[in-house]
Amino acid sequence: MIYDLIIVGGGPAGIAAGIYAARKKIKTLLITDSFGGQSITSADVQNFIGIKSISGWELAKKLEEHLRNFEGESIEILDFDKVSKIKKKNGNFLVFTESVKSFESKTILMACGSRRRKLGVPGEKEFDGKGVAYCSTCDAPIFKNKIVAVVGGGNAGLESVIDLSPYAKEIYLLEYAEEVKGDPITIEKIAENPKVKIITMVEVLEVLGKDSVTGIKYKDRKNNEIKELPLEGIFIEIGWVPNSGIINGLVSLNKKNEIIVDHKTQVSSLPGIWAAGDIADVLYKQNNISMGDAIKAVLNIYDYLKKKKD
Amino acid sequence: MNVLIYTTPTCPYCNMAKDFFKSKNVEYKEINVAADENAAKEMVDKSHQMGVPVVDINGTIIVGFNRPEMEKALGL
Repeated sequence: MIYDLIIVGGGPAGIAAGIYAARKKIKTLLITDSFGGQSITSADVQNFIGIKSISGWELAKKLEEHLRNFEGESIEILDFDKVSKIKKKNGNFLVFTESVKSFESKTILMACGSRRRKLGVPGEKEFDGKGVAYCSTCDAPIFKNKIVAVVGGGNAGLESVIDLSPYAKEIYLLEYAEEVKGDPITIEKIAENPKVKIITMVEVLEVLGKDSVTGIKYKDRKNNEIKELPLEGIFIEIGWVPNSGIINGLVSLNKKNEIIVDHKTQVSSLPGIWAAGDIADVLYKQNNISMGDAIKAVLNIYDYLKKKKD
Repeated sequence: MNVLIYTTPTCPYCNMAKDFFKSKNVEYKEINVAADENAAKEMVDKSHQMGVPVVDINGTIIVGFNRPEMEKALGL
């Protein structure tokens, strides 16, 4: 059995692609370990067009439900699994999964997004779960009355500060650059909070601790002084790294390891492989954009498959 | 079979783990550590870490939503 299309990933891009592929009756398999993408950990999504306010988890459920509505004849869904490798085979592609299954397809849409960037400093791994945390929506209540820091002043970092506000005693927001970069509407909200102290020009050098986190060592980039900050928890929100390793060697990647695509069609450097969402070299990483880009890709895949048949 | 899950109300991975139990018809007891500081302490003592979810299946402690480990502990 050869699929027309395998969609790798179940975030907004993968789901949008799946729905369009099913409606075009493209013989499709979607493979994902979970649905909803990065936003699942967001406590409140307010910019998903058409919905005023929704938790990331509820949004994921809605997206999955919409996709499942088409599950059956045209689109099959393999969930709780993950693609581990993609290889070429006689003009088609072979897709291998972590549960040691393999599938053949004429085309591939890479929509498996990105994963959390780690600081990569001493102590981070050692104290992971022992004060170092990556999901404030999940773990904020466990840091009740504690002194914590959020590393990263983008929107995700600002949201973490908001998640922690009802629980933590003091919250430091640490930013590498000269100023925080998140949306002004969110910055204003946290600046009013007396619990929050913003420190910019911070380069974290080490996570300090014994049995659990006791602080961090950092370089104050304003004067190159090495300083220590006593802390009981650190939430890391410094961006994302594309999950492009599984396709390395087949398609061209940019310096950030994003898949380089033609922005008219989302096709990669290798005919037969498309990419959409945060794994592609799009300038703005947004749910709404990922979905539109994935739809572009599927419409182009539809034309490609039709031409191939003729 | 004694299945406990330590959660916070806003944690998506907790929801995934609960959905998984439901899909396998596994009965579980949920403990919300956001509402109960003693339960939070118990969870940290059991798992030696501070993240949710923590799943306790007959004494086997699993941190995070880890489907293969959960299946193994449940004998599925």
